[in-house]
Amino acid sequence: MAAVTTAVGRPRRTRRGVFGIMFAPVTLLIVLFLAPMLIMVQMSIVKYPPDVASGYTLEHYQTVLTDPINLRIAWTTLFIGTTSMILMLAIALPLGYYMVFRAGKWELFILLSLVLADELAPVVKIYAWQSILGREGIFNWFIPGPPVSWLLFSRFAVVVTLAATYITYTTIPIYAAMKAIDPSMFEAAIDLGAGWWTQARKILIPLAAPGIFIAMILVYIPMLTDFVTADIVGGTGSYMMGQRVRDLILSGGDWGSGAALNFVMLVVSIVMSVIAYWLARLNRIER
Amino acid sequence: MKEGTPSMEGTEPGSAIELDHVTKRFGDVTAVNDVAIEIQTGEFFSLLGPSGCGKTTTLRIIAGFEAPDEGRVLLQGNDVTFVTPQKRNVNMVFQAYGLFPHMTVAENIAFGPKIKKRPRDEIARRVTEILRTVRLEGMEDRRPAQLSGGQQQRVALARSLVNGPAALLLDEPLGALDLKLRKEMQLELKELQMRTGTTFVYVTHDQEEAMTMSDRIAVMNEGLVEQLATPRELYSRPASPFVAGFIGTSNLITLRIDWRDGGLVGMDLGEGERILAPDPGDGAPTAHITVRPEWIKLASGEVGPRASHVGGTVADVVYLGSVTQFIVLLRTGERLTVHRLNDEVALVDPRPGDRVILHWAAEHSYVIRPGRTEPPRPDLRTDPSAADEH
Repeated sequence: MAAVTTAVGRPRRTRRGVFGIMFAPVTLLIVLFLAPMLIMVQMSIVKYPPDVASGYTLEHYQTVLTDPINLRIAWTTLFIGTTSMILMLAIALPLGYYMVFRAGKWELFILLSLVLADELAPVVKIYAWQSILGREGIFNWFIPGPPVSWLLFSRFAVVVTLAATYITYTTIPIYAAMKAIDPSMFEAAIDLGAGWWTQARKILIPLAAPGIFIAMILVYIPMLTDFVTADIVGGTGSYMMGQRVRDLILSGGDWGSGAALNFVMLVVSIVMSVIAYWLARLNRIER
Repeated sequence: MKEGTPSMEGTEPGSAIELDHVTKRFGDVTAVNDVAIEIQTGEFFSLLGPSGCGKTTTLRIIAGFEAPDEGRVLLQGNDVTFVTPQKRNVNMVFQAYGLFPHMTVAENIAFGPKIKKRPRDEIARRVTEILRTVRLEGMEDRRPAQLSGGQQQRVALARSLVNGPAALLLDEPLGALDLKLRKEMQLELKELQMRTGTTFVYVTHDQEEAMTMSDRIAVMNEGLVEQLATPRELYSRPASPFVAGFIGTSNLITLRIDWRDGGLVGMDLGEGERILAPDPGDGAPTAHITVRPEWIKLASGEVGPRASHVGGTVADVVYLGSVTQFIVLLRTGERLTVHRLNDEVALVDPRPGDRVILHWAAEHSYVIRPGRTEPPRPDLRTDPSAADEH
C-alpha cells in the first residue's frame, strides 16, 4: 500500500498546478479502494479462505505465478489494455487540445458531454457497442461488401469498447493539464518555425505529460481488472485477467488464487504507473 | 536610419518592412485601417497608441498571425501577405515572453535553429554568442522559472535574435516589469538594437518608452496612423489634437482669430492680454493650437511684443521633483498646465489663489492643422509604380 501513496504523492510535489487539482479525486479513489483491498490481501494469504482461522500461507501466490494459463491471459490483458490506452491517448490529446485552445464556447459543452457519457451505465454502453460492431450493426451497414464478422466478439471489440468506456477519465486529466499551458507558447513556437507536429511533440505533449500520467493511473488499473466488457463484446481470444479472477472466485470457488492473482495485478499496475510517470517526466525534460 | 536620408530611398528594397495600405476588420470593428508604413532596415520603429488602437494587430499582421483583409505586407521587398508565420524571416517577442517552461535557457534559444536544421556545432556556437550578447553567460542550464523577469526578457530576446531575423517584432515586452527595471531594459534594448543592427518594431502604449528608444514612431488611434515622425517632431509638431494630447502633457487652445499681422494671428482677451500664434495662412476664423507646459513662463516683469500674455489664478500646485506643475485658471474659464523647472534652490512657488501672469513666445503656440497629416518624410510614401518592381 505504501507503493500507492508514493506513486501518487511524489508528482504532487514536483508539478504543483495539475497535481494540486488531481490530488483530491485521487486520494478519494485510494481511500475507497483501500478497505476492500486489505480484505483481498488477507484472503490471498489465508490457507482455506474465507476461513481466517485456517492459518496463513503463500502457496496461492505460487500457484498463480506458475500457472502458464495465467501468463497467457496476462499478455492478452496487457495487449488489450495498452492498445486501448494508446487509442484513448490518440483521441484524448487532440480532443484536449481542441477543447482548451480551439473550441471556444463549445468547450463546456464537450466537457459536459464527456461527463454525461461516463454517467451512462457501463453495461448499457457495452451493449450499445455490441449493436454497433455486430454483423447487422451500424459499422457493417456502412462498409461495403459482405458483413465483416471480426468486429465483434474479438480483441478489436474489447479494445474499442474499453476505449469508449474510459475516454472520460483519459481526457479530463489531459484537458486539465493543457488548461495550464499558456497559449502564447504555441504562437512562440510557430514564430520560430515550428509546424503542427513539432508543436505537438515539443510543446503540447511534454507540457501535458502530468495529465497523461494521471490519465494512465486512472484508466490502466480499472481497465486491467475489467471483465464486463470482455464478457459482452469479447471472444475466445480476448479472455482477460478480470474475467480470470472472477471465474476463479465465482465459478471455481478458489478465493485464495483469485485474491492472489488480483494482488499481483495490482502490483503490476503500480509498476506500470511508475514507468508511465518516469516516461512522462523524461519526455518533459527531453526536447 | 536617421532623418536626412535622401528621399529616393523609398523606392529601393532598403526597407525591411512595408505595409501597403493594410486593413484588418474583426466583425464590425476595423482594427487596422488603411495603414501604410515603410520601416527602414536597422531602424528602431515604434507603434504607439492606447489599448485597442490597432498597434498589436498591425504587429501580428507583420508576423503573419493575422491576415489583412486588404493591402499587402512586404518583407525586404518580397510580398509575404499570404506567407505563414513559420516561413517569414521575422521573429516576435511576446508580451508574456512565451518561453518554454520545460526547456532550459539554451534549449529555448536553440529551438529556432534546430527547426531550421542547422548543424549541431553551429547551433552551440550561436547560442553561446547570443547569450553573451544579452549578458546571460552561465545561465544555459537554468529553467525560465529560475530566472528573474528581466532575465526571462533577455532569454526571449535571445531566442528571437539567434535566428538572425530581418526584423524583431516586440509586443509590449517590458509591460510585465517594474518601473526601475523597465527603464534599465529600455536603454538595454536600444543598445542591443544598435549593436546588432537589427530592425526593431516595437509596440507600446507608453509614450515615454517610445520616445526614449525610437528612431521613428507611428502614433495610432482607432486603427489609423495619426502621425508618423521622429520623437522630436511628434512632440514639437503634433499633427493632430490626439497626438498632442497623447505625447506628453499639452495645452490645447481653440483660438478665435481677432487679427493677423506680420505672420502672426492673435486673440485679444482684454486689458492687454492676448494669445499669439504663427499665421497658419489658411484664412480660417479659428485655429487649434497646442502649447507645451514647459514653454509657458510664469512672470511678473515685462512681456515682449511677440509673446502671448495672459493672467490667471493658480488653482493647483504639484511638486514633481525636477519641475513644479501649476494649473492656472484663466479668466475665460480655460485651464493651462504650466511647468517650471526647479533649477534654483531659493525659488518661491506661487500658491493656490495667487494671481500670476503667463507668457510664451508666439512660435511656441503650435498650430495643429485639421485632418491627419501624411508621413513627414517624402520617401515614406508608397509609390505604386515602385511597389510593382518587387
